[in-house]
Amino acid sequence: MGTVLRQGGAHVGRLIRAHPIAFTIAVFGSTMFVSAIAIAAVVIGNITDDVIIPVLDGGEPYADLLRPAVLLIAGIALYKAVGIIIRRVGASWLQIRSQMDFVSRLIHHQYKLSMPWHHGEDTGDLLAITDNDAGQATFVLGPLPYATGVSLLLIGALVLVTSIDVWLGLVALISFGLVVTTDVGSAWFIFGGFEKLQRMVGDVSAVAHESFDGALTVKAIGAEDLEVERFSRVSNALRDQRTWVSVRAESFRTVSEIIPTLGLIAVIVVGGYRIEAGAITPGEVVTALYLMSLLSFPIRLIGFVTWETTFALASWRRIARIVEADDLIHHGEMDPSGQATGTEVSGENVTFSYPGGVPVLSDLGFHIQPGETVAVVGPTASGKSTMVSLLARLWDPDHGTIQLDGRDLRDFAERGVSSEVTIVPQESFLFNLSVRENITLGQHFSEEEVRAAADLAQATPFVLELPQGFDTVVGEQGATLSGGQAQRIALARSIVRKPRLLILDDATSAIDPSVETAILTGLRDAELPSTVVLVAYRQASITLADRVILVDDGRIIATGTHAHLLATQPVYSDILTAYANV
Amino acid sequence: MSDSTVIQALRRAFQVAPTLRKGLVVTLLLAGLGTAMSLVVPITLQRIVDTQLVGVDRIDTGAVLRSGLVAVGAVIVASIARWTSLMRIAKFVPAGLAELRNEAFSHLHRLSALHTETNRRGAMVARVTSDVAALEHFMEWAGIGMLIGITQLVLAMTTMLFYNVRLALIVIAGVAVYGTLLLWFQKLLKRAHGAHRNTISDSMSAVSESITGLPIIRAHGAEAETLSRVDQALGRQFVAGFRTARFGAVLFSSAEIFAGLITAAVIGFGVIFGARGQLTTGTLLAFLFLVNLLTEPVQMIVEASDSAQAAGAGLRKVLTVIDEPVDLPDSTDPQPLPAGSLEVAAVDTTFQYPTGPPIIRNLHLRIAPGERVAVVGQTGSGKTTFAKLVARLIDPTAGAIRVGGVDVRDVSFSELRSRVSYVPQQGFLFNTSIIENIRYGRAAATDQEVTDAITDLKLVDWVEGLPDGLSTMAGVRGQNLSAGERQLVALTRAWVANPDLLILDEATSAVDPALELRLRDAIERLAQGRTSITVAHRLSTAEAADRVLVFESGEIVEDGTHAELIELGGVYASLHADWAVATR
Repeated sequence: MGTVLRQGGAHVGRLIRAHPIAFTIAVFGSTMFVSAIAIAAVVIGNITDDVIIPVLDGGEPYADLLRPAVLLIAGIALYKAVGIIIRRVGASWLQIRSQMDFVSRLIHHQYKLSMPWHHGEDTGDLLAITDNDAGQATFVLGPLPYATGVSLLLIGALVLVTSIDVWLGLVALISFGLVVTTDVGSAWFIFGGFEKLQRMVGDVSAVAHESFDGALTVKAIGAEDLEVERFSRVSNALRDQRTWVSVRAESFRTVSEIIPTLGLIAVIVVGGYRIEAGAITPGEVVTALYLMSLLSFPIRLIGFVTWETTFALASWRRIARIVEADDLIHHGEMDPSGQATGTEVSGENVTFSYPGGVPVLSDLGFHIQPGETVAVVGPTASGKSTMVSLLARLWDPDHGTIQLDGRDLRDFAERGVSSEVTIVPQESFLFNLSVRENITLGQHFSEEEVRAAADLAQATPFVLELPQGFDTVVGEQGATLSGGQAQRIALARSIVRKPRLLILDDATSAIDPSVETAILTGLRDAELPSTVVLVAYRQASITLADRVILVDDGRIIATGTHAHLLATQPVYSDILTAYANV
Repeated sequence: MSDSTVIQALRRAFQVAPTLRKGLVVTLLLAGLGTAMSLVVPITLQRIVDTQLVGVDRIDTGAVLRSGLVAVGAVIVASIARWTSLMRIAKFVPAGLAELRNEAFSHLHRLSALHTETNRRGAMVARVTSDVAALEHFMEWAGIGMLIGITQLVLAMTTMLFYNVRLALIVIAGVAVYGTLLLWFQKLLKRAHGAHRNTISDSMSAVSESITGLPIIRAHGAEAETLSRVDQALGRQFVAGFRTARFGAVLFSSAEIFAGLITAAVIGFGVIFGARGQLTTGTLLAFLFLVNLLTEPVQMIVEASDSAQAAGAGLRKVLTVIDEPVDLPDSTDPQPLPAGSLEVAAVDTTFQYPTGPPIIRNLHLRIAPGERVAVVGQTGSGKTTFAKLVARLIDPTAGAIRVGGVDVRDVSFSELRSRVSYVPQQGFLFNTSIIENIRYGRAAATDQEVTDAITDLKLVDWVEGLPDGLSTMAGVRGQNLSAGERQLVALTRAWVANPDLLILDEATSAVDPALELRLRDAIERLAQGRTSITVAHRLSTAEAADRVLVFESGEIVEDGTHAELIELGGVYASLHADWAVATR
């Protein structure tokens, strides 16, 4: 626990140092608030001695005494309220600002991290961290200024009560001490169980996500009962853990709620003895009593902040795993050429494997001329997709280099590669944006450019039939498009950027053959200033290429024209003529 | 959503998850008794002040101590009552919520919406996670807190009335005015909350897309634009969140002003009444402490009513799912399927989604047992819908589908799934080993049977090339495998189920042509004597089938062998020509 509190304190300290002024303002408000509590207690005690007892028991007239007493109480309330407003406004600014800072930092940092890092991550988990942990890591900032003020008040109250009477001071010390010890101790005792609980919440969500994503398969193979059983297992584990945590937390809470009440009873009794001894007045007992009763809720804030600090630390550890990851993409200094011609592409001794896996590509060497259209062909799982994703620098080779016009991809400045190369992946991804925004991705392209790209991708006809044409929102929450339609929008997204190298990774697989042919011939006739690399199976697509690179088992086994490979390479002719030989 | 519907929703939740209300009355009574603890201090103070401290010559310290001990006894009894009630809540509420969560999950799997309306999937996950969590917050904190708050309010007011009716009425009037003001204020706060929530969901969707779409954004160099969109959304969320917080700060500080005013009034009027001998010192002091017991519950009730609204909204969403009728109910009077390969028939079958044109129109069809049928047609012609109807993944809106002469709706799911295998285009892999993924087809399949299936399908080479063979982990959604490899696993999975009717829905579209043909040879060889329906994008399948069905706009427009349909020179002939040009 010592470590937890130390690291938690360090985390909170960093948050405060980022916005010291807001924290200072909030603590100032909190100090106003707690001083109001102390003043109120003293005033109530004085009123008891100077007004209530003389008037009620001594029969004195109240005329002159009452008005100042009433105005004083009302004035303190107003002062206290102003303190609350300042404290809450300062604290909430600090908390919300820090939370937004975390979210922004998380996203910005993820954009700097390399693909090998992303490969090991579950998107759902990354979302949960941004969604929940950024909040959880900062919630402690809400009650922290309050608790800081209360700590001051606690010392002040002890001094005040002790100055009234040492015995009452002792009662207050024991009472405060026990409450704080119980609350801080419970945080220590339950922290592990609570962390486990949070993990189980994640497990339930993960199983539900996976099971619902696979719903069609689950139904088709009749595995519903298996899935229900799997879900019940994690769900019931969560139930048991929740009970485990609640039983302990609530038991501690009962104890720490009973202590202040017992303390107050002790003040009354001890006060009685001390009044009898002539050491103090009834009003002074009322002051001690009033002060401690007003403190009985705020004092719990100290334990609460301890709790929140441990939660914040657990979340911070999850955030830190991302924002402190140093697996960054390294960029060079070189600017893109800005030329509007196809680029030359070459690879030398390229070897690559996915993290923790067997080598996917071994010692590739290739050379593609500017403006050439090259097809990459090979059996299932031979490494085609991996090879072309290296050309777009989605991954870096383990060994060897990939060059555009003799410039190593790793020497390009940030965004340099993507300004020369775009890739259309196998599975098209659409954002919850309009068709137009899905094509531009927020960058500036004229209406003509968007139209021209959509025309080339053969997307314009069906887009115009959508309810709002190019302004129709598509994606998860938008209009439903077929796989082939989504692929054509993804294609337009790449074409509009007029890349010097355009990569199509089996990007037309869901498009009917005649449409695909139209797209490919369109691309060629449009005389885009592009070099084109396409992964394909269909002979029509392949014959549009100037040259074919044949990949098998992670190696380039031949390059040449379609006719040449057909004649010389059995692997190639197996794939290409499979259907013809039926 | 009004409070009455919150109560209705709770009542329904108690039906679905009876543990939620198990012993609830006792729990609440105990909680009420526990609340009495807060009254002990003011009452003890009043008794001691009036009888021992004031107006006496000598304080009877023994009596003071006895009163103190009685008070301690009362506090302990009340604490035990409260603790017992909290323990009951800690046990019954999580158990009840787990019942609700499990029921919602299992019910969702019985709804076809889960696989037909894929765009609602995120919302459906929320039904079994965050919506239930909102209820948890309410049941464990706000709901109970509200009841305890009301009890405390009633007890404190009753005690005041008992002490002095006039002073108590002044206090109660003050609290009533404050409560009314707070409710009105709360409405404004709720509006601010609503605006805040909108900005939260906007920035969440911006954040979520920036993460899921990262590879695409990176490949197109749109990082700066995306990040600035995220930061703008976060900025709007900050502004709206801070506005709400400022509002809340003013709202909650008002409680202090009010408590101060009531305290001032109690002192003012108390002293006046006391001077007339209507009030003792102890009573007036007790009033000062009792006033402090009023403001907290009033705030609590108002705050909790907000949580009740959120819980009610979440709960209603969960219940809507649970109460959605199962659109694919299991047969209550199941008919057995005949042994051996299965005949398939469509009788005047029509299918359409509630808001759309018919996808299958008045289909009449009979496929003989053992026949191998290929289904072809343009994208959107109804091929996949037909395949799903036969597998009973959806039910026709009119007409019927018969398998083995029996309406599929009269066949139990357990029999249908064991006799009919459907392999979708994007076979889903779970985040476990490949062999466990294959066993999803038939949980009882032995290692040997799985290996045999791999051998039958001539996939031994592929398995041997995997890093850990069949123990290789598939990764989240199968991401460790290529699209084509995922299809191989799905196919093997169907194969171990040893079906009498095999439905392949573009199940090999992502593997290379040579491998596809190898697979098809294997399937054909092994499918001897079984009925098969193959939806195909690549028309090579159609060439080899016994019979080809050509779909167009939800109808069968051509039906015959490959040779006959080529001869006919219609839709199929042109599709085939198109395909042949593209591939040969």
